[in-house]
Amino acid sequence: MPMTGLGPHGERAAPADKLFLTAEEAAVAQVSRFTVAVVMHTATSDWARLAAAGIGETLGAYSAGVVEIVDCAFDKPMQNRELSRLASSRIDAVISIPIGVSGVTDAYRKISKSGKKLILIDNVPTGLLPGADYSALVSADNFSLGEIAARLISPHIADEGVAGILTYGADFFAANEREIAFRKWMGVNRSDITLVRGRFATVDEAGSAFDRLFAENADLDGLFVTWDVPALRALDAIRAASRILPLTTVDLGNAIATELAQSDLVKGIAAQRPFDLGVAAAIATLMSLTGRQPPPWIVTPGLAVTRDNLVEAYLTVWRAPAPALLFQAR
Amino acid sequence: MMPKAGEKAWYDQELSVTDAAGTTAPRRVGRPRTLDAGAASLALVLNLIRTGEATTRIEIEKLAELGRAAVVDRLATLEELGLVMEGELGAAIGGRAPRHLRFAAEGGTILVAVVDRSSLAVALVDLAGNSIVAHHEAADLGAGPEAILDRLTNLFIWLLDERGSKDRVWGIGVSLPEPVLIETGDSDAFGIGALETLQSWRRFDFGAEVSLRFGAPCWVQGGAQMMTIGELKAGAGKGLADMLFLKLDRSIGAGVAAGGRVQQGSQGFAGMIGHAPTGEDSEIPCHCGARGCLEALASGEAIARQGASAAQDGRSRYLAEMLERNGEISASDVSHGAQLGEAFCAEVLARCGRLVGQSLAPLVNLLNPAIIVLGGAVAQSGDILLAAIREAVYRQSHPLVTRDLRIVRSQMGSSAGLVGAAQVVCDEIFAPAMIKEWIAYGSPRRRPAFLDFLEAEKARKRKAAREQSQPRGTPANVPRHL
Repeated sequence: MPMTGLGPHGERAAPADKLFLTAEEAAVAQVSRFTVAVVMHTATSDWARLAAAGIGETLGAYSAGVVEIVDCAFDKPMQNRELSRLASSRIDAVISIPIGVSGVTDAYRKISKSGKKLILIDNVPTGLLPGADYSALVSADNFSLGEIAARLISPHIADEGVAGILTYGADFFAANEREIAFRKWMGVNRSDITLVRGRFATVDEAGSAFDRLFAENADLDGLFVTWDVPALRALDAIRAASRILPLTTVDLGNAIATELAQSDLVKGIAAQRPFDLGVAAAIATLMSLTGRQPPPWIVTPGLAVTRDNLVEAYLTVWRAPAPALLFQAR
Repeated sequence: MMPKAGEKAWYDQELSVTDAAGTTAPRRVGRPRTLDAGAASLALVLNLIRTGEATTRIEIEKLAELGRAAVVDRLATLEELGLVMEGELGAAIGGRAPRHLRFAAEGGTILVAVVDRSSLAVALVDLAGNSIVAHHEAADLGAGPEAILDRLTNLFIWLLDERGSKDRVWGIGVSLPEPVLIETGDSDAFGIGALETLQSWRRFDFGAEVSLRFGAPCWVQGGAQMMTIGELKAGAGKGLADMLFLKLDRSIGAGVAAGGRVQQGSQGFAGMIGHAPTGEDSEIPCHCGARGCLEALASGEAIARQGASAAQDGRSRYLAEMLERNGEISASDVSHGAQLGEAFCAEVLARCGRLVGQSLAPLVNLLNPAIIVLGGAVAQSGDILLAAIREAVYRQSHPLVTRDLRIVRSQMGSSAGLVGAAQVVCDEIFAPAMIKEWIAYGSPRRRPAFLDFLEAEKARKRKAAREQSQPRGTPANVPRHL
């Protein structure tokens, strides 16, 4: 899968699978027993649990430990408070997914100013620079995820159709990149399609956001939602409106994978590889702790998933066999 | 000092002046009679608050040397315009607690863009230059100015949809690569691939076109200078007054900050360090026509060329494999090879670093900077290059100027240009002379001179379109059917 995006400061992507620790660095890590805290925007989604698993297993292999996982539940003030607390604690590093990029910079700076290493996932708070303020950003190639989602929905939207984009109202760099890429792909390959946008302020609000979008665009022919959890809410709203709308989204969570297998609505998913992302974040953290600067932007490639390759894709993403439900649909 | 009932305020009192001939004439003080004088003090008060020099009425009165009533009046105007807001209460020092005033940076937005050889970046920024949303993507300068302008337009519209509206755009800043801004003859100085494309870039008034599309004034500058400004504001140069910035990319450019200001030179071309003679001969002439220029020997283009040559004649097995795999050799292939320990690649980068360092050494002697910041893609190529540059500078410059000199890589990436562009727009919009021109109209986009400029540009385009639609050789006044 070709990488197509650029990082938050225009960086070229460094592939996650090329990341490694030298034998000396591994030896240093083993005796140092580093302690790491993980601060997440949410710890309850499938994506989050897989990423945390990747981090935990990898750190564990080098005798480092995850001392806590903080679930910030999309609450920025809470995330800022937790980061302040961690800045004065005795840990070695923090791996974190910032909730958005504004209003959080100072809290993150406290972490690096306190001498701890900071590895970011998905978003970089505005004003933070790699090297000075954080060691690396690890993310999926969100630009290519948006392109994949556009490519997967295009065959299901007739000429001159209307495609809706449902995205987060806050400043999520990852979601922005997916949306820009979706629009760009459509502009180049399906300039006949009209694009309209709806925004949800919170994930739970995604259903009402869809209702609003649909109320203004009764001729909607398809929908792209920037990740799977709000996509599930949108699906509920679509069904409640008794419509059949093709939908694509990002992330191969269990519930959305089941929808892809069984329903007529979900046509494709641009999957991240959250476990691999967690592994890369952990290695970047250990590199940083043992004295080597990791690349500023480390990327895991996206994966285009349709019903045809769902079972294989599930294994790749989840590192576990697909549940029976997904087989039954075939 | 409020006037008693029936009494005129001190600033409204008619005073008289008697000249040497004994003629007396009335003189007014305090409240300005003309808009000019009012605008001048408005600009002064605004800038004091905006820069944080003064945040209470008392501080403003002192620094602006204006009376209380004048300050109250100006603040009322600025608050009405949405440029200044009351903030928190300060500490009381004998008397009422002063109310802090703050600059309402959210009162308008600024759009910025950086266009480079193979990427572009955009950002939406507030009136204090703080980034709100930013995005970088791959692009091809060879697509021509109209295609790039269209892409920027789409992205700007998306940014505005995210945060604000077109009416709130106060200014736009665009960074373009120097070769499309500078007439250096007909050579293809940027490897765009088609001379025609380069010329189409040079003929295209990018700033005017952007202004027309968004109805806001647009400032365009070269990439190295924009990055220098950005680096000085928010990067390795933060807090320093004297900095040298080097953009090591496909081409080589520099920026000089002296006394806290980035130097532009008498015609705005300061920084063409790529054409410093190295004293060595280059295989091919430089784009400027001379041989042995730094750019011809040490730029990203030169590195790629040397790498391709070694790939073909067997001097580097690693590069030969890369050539086989990708069909071409880029500077980053050579960097990667050096990082993996490949001898030829390491030697190329070491030589590049030495030549760059040798060119920098006399500049360091001249300018005595506190720091040299290396930006651009080639600068990120690893430690060999950095070490070679450091070695040459420390060896060849005078010990007095190198004793405390730091030479570092930029960490801002392409964001340096975005920050620089934002700073340029803020400096332009809030220059005292400029504020005076727009303050009466609420925002720079409604400044009369700018509106006149837009009308003139629209008229020029209409005329050009009419001329283009007429077939060649047909005089305008001959009816078509004859």
